Amino acid sequence: MYKNRKTGIIGITITIIILIIVVILSNTNLQEISYIENIFSSIVMPIQNGLTFLKNKIAGNESFFADLETLKEENENLKAQNSKLEQSLRELEIIKSENETLKEYVNLKDKYKNYQTIPAYIINRDISNFSKTIVINVGEKDGIKPNMTVIADKGLVGYVISTTQNTSKVQTIIDPSTSVSSLITSSREEVIVSGTLENSKTLKVEYIDADAVLLENDNLETSGLGGIYPKGIYIGTINKIVNTQNSIDRYAYAETAVDFSKLETVLVITNEQGE
Amino acid sequence: MKKILTAILIIITFFIIYFLQSNFFTWFTISGVMPNLFIIFVLWIGLFIGKKTGLICGLIFGIYIDILIGKQIVISGIMLGLIGLIAEYIDKNFSKDSRLTIMLIISASTIIYETGMYAFQIIKWGVNIEILAFLKILLLETLFNVIISIILYPLITKLGNFAESKFKTKTIMTKYF
Repeated sequence: MYKNRKTGIIGITITIIILIIVVILSNTNLQEISYIENIFSSIVMPIQNGLTFLKNKIAGNESFFADLETLKEENENLKAQNSKLEQSLRELEIIKSENETLKEYVNLKDKYKNYQTIPAYIINRDISNFSKTIVINVGEKDGIKPNMTVIADKGLVGYVISTTQNTSKVQTIIDPSTSVSSLITSSREEVIVSGTLENSKTLKVEYIDADAVLLENDNLETSGLGGIYPKGIYIGTINKIVNTQNSIDRYAYAETAVDFSKLETVLVITNEQGE
Repeated sequence: MKKILTAILIIITFFIIYFLQSNFFTWFTISGVMPNLFIIFVLWIGLFIGKKTGLICGLIFGIYIDILIGKQIVISGIMLGLIGLIAEYIDKNFSKDSRLTIMLIISASTIIYETGMYAFQIIKWGVNIEILAFLKILLLETLFNVIISIILYPLITKLGNFAESKFKTKTIMTKYF
């Protein structure tokens, strides 16, 4: 009985460790080895410090024989000073973060000055693997209504599907059920862009005209058709063209301009061509 | 009194799971795929509490999730309610004392739930059918749910037996009759 229980606990512990390793490995770019360097240096550095200390001692470094009381006092003073500096650093970090958010808002406002916009934070993300909706912290009280367009610094995010007094639900362009009428910026050809299950960066470009000239790295922007999205908002860049036997069926994949995994602040367009 | 306490604990657990799903598991993923703890939770209710509680809790929780974050109301409710109902059926026909049985039940429930949700999306929204991407997500999510169930197994059975003793008067395994 005792053995079974012990084996069970060991099994659970091993499973937890394996789970953590799987999650870390599946989400880490292995090319970034700087953190491995950190781990190695943290193993080596204490030994290195000890060796340096011994070396100094053997070399007759006079500072080692300094008065112990004076050193203690100095140490206390330094500790107090250090804690004050740490507090200042924390305050500065908060100010820096606020400053970055405000800068982001200002950049966004400047970029889309033709539109009247309301800034918002993302407060919740979808819990399903098959849909990609988000919740933002502005609602009816702030003048948000369904079907309003949501953008970010780099481009289109999605549109408002429902609102409460203080929050709004936004269906993003990476949601598989979203379709956006778009234009290829260089050739001005109309296409339909929709979300995929692949990942949070890939869009599928469909309904490409048989005669249309399509190139990799072509940019996509909203066409203004469909009645939801205003014209000319950047969506993303075509990164793969899939040619089929029948040219009518050909399609392409595009990468979104917005990095949805890191998206924190957005702007809701409350009217087109605002004051 | 203990029944009321258990009901309150169920509601608190629901909110803890909700916050875990919408915060922690949005970055603690396997290749971008999150687990679905609600399936495990509703299964637990159906298996150990029964008396149609699994169905009712599944319906209520699902609808609540849809209201909070979903694109359409009801579908999560229907699917989670179905999972609760399946759990009650399983409870009557299978023994839940084995870790393997629990793992198989969770795998089957995850597959049923997610396939139902995806089928609904295809029918309702005309979503492009992406079989390979769907299977990849389904496989990873099932695996994630199973791993979590292995970790939580002692807690699941301990709390489950406690809840069962408060809510169920007797358990009859119909396959033996």
